[in-house]
Amino acid sequence: MKEDLLDIVCCPLDKHDLELDATEREDGEIVTGTLTCTECGEVYPIEDGIPNLLPPDMRDEAPA
Amino acid sequence: MTDDESGGDGPSTGSVRATYDRIADHFSKTREYAWPEIEEFLDGRSGSVGLDVGCGNGRHTELLADRCDRALGVDLSREMVATARERSRERGFDYGLAQADASSLPVRDGVADLAVFVATLPHLPTREARIGSLDELARVLAPDGRALVSAWSTEHDRFDADEGFDTTVEWTLPGGEAVDRFYHIYDPEEFRRDVGSSGLELEAFEVSSGNCYGVVRSE
Repeated sequence: MKEDLLDIVCCPLDKHDLELDATEREDGEIVTGTLTCTECGEVYPIEDGIPNLLPPDMRDEAPA
Repeated sequence: MTDDESGGDGPSTGSVRATYDRIADHFSKTREYAWPEIEEFLDGRSGSVGLDVGCGNGRHTELLADRCDRALGVDLSREMVATARERSRERGFDYGLAQADASSLPVRDGVADLAVFVATLPHLPTREARIGSLDELARVLAPDGRALVSAWSTEHDRFDADEGFDTTVEWTLPGGEAVDRFYHIYDPEEFRRDVGSSGLELEAFEVSSGNCYGVVRSE
């Protein structure tokens, strides 16, 4: 994901701002990192360039 | 029976996601082109931010990226999002992607000028979840924003019903294995009613190729 996506996305639960912590960047994109809600503190992972912004209770459902 | 009585044996959002995670690659290859109804809706429209809810392989997100300064595609299935990411790179499209649930969109209030919510609403397992997703769409649409909502309808030739109902529709993988997908098939009146029960206002409605299409705005 690109950093400017933060202008559009927010926490799926309380719709507050997300704070980026990038651990791996490549060609101007964040490949690995986290997005943390500035209000509720929920942490959303970014893996392989894709932020997982599912509500946390849906995040752990294992794919088939 | 009402359509929100999805019991413990009923389909869950998780099973729809698991299905699309499994069929993503094959599904994407058979969904190369945008539907004409979507092109029609987008014709002459533009905006700052475009949003595709239930983006699949991104075939409609691409159209939004052409018409908006920026576009975002979200999908419940991680594998579908990965497919969209790969396809956007191959085809030189630049838009954002995220894994997300249509009933709890991680999108800011009033940010989307143009949105499509195509063939996704019927996958939500309860009426409550479906209306919740329509409310979410209403929340994220800009004051002058417009969205196109579509749902498979009882008017389609393959269904013999006058009222909306829950069903599963098989997807057959190349090896012959069949994977079930949950659908709520809408009757046209029910579609209008559910949209009306949400924070959306139906501006235009048609049944085309067995699908209900509604052009909507925020109330």
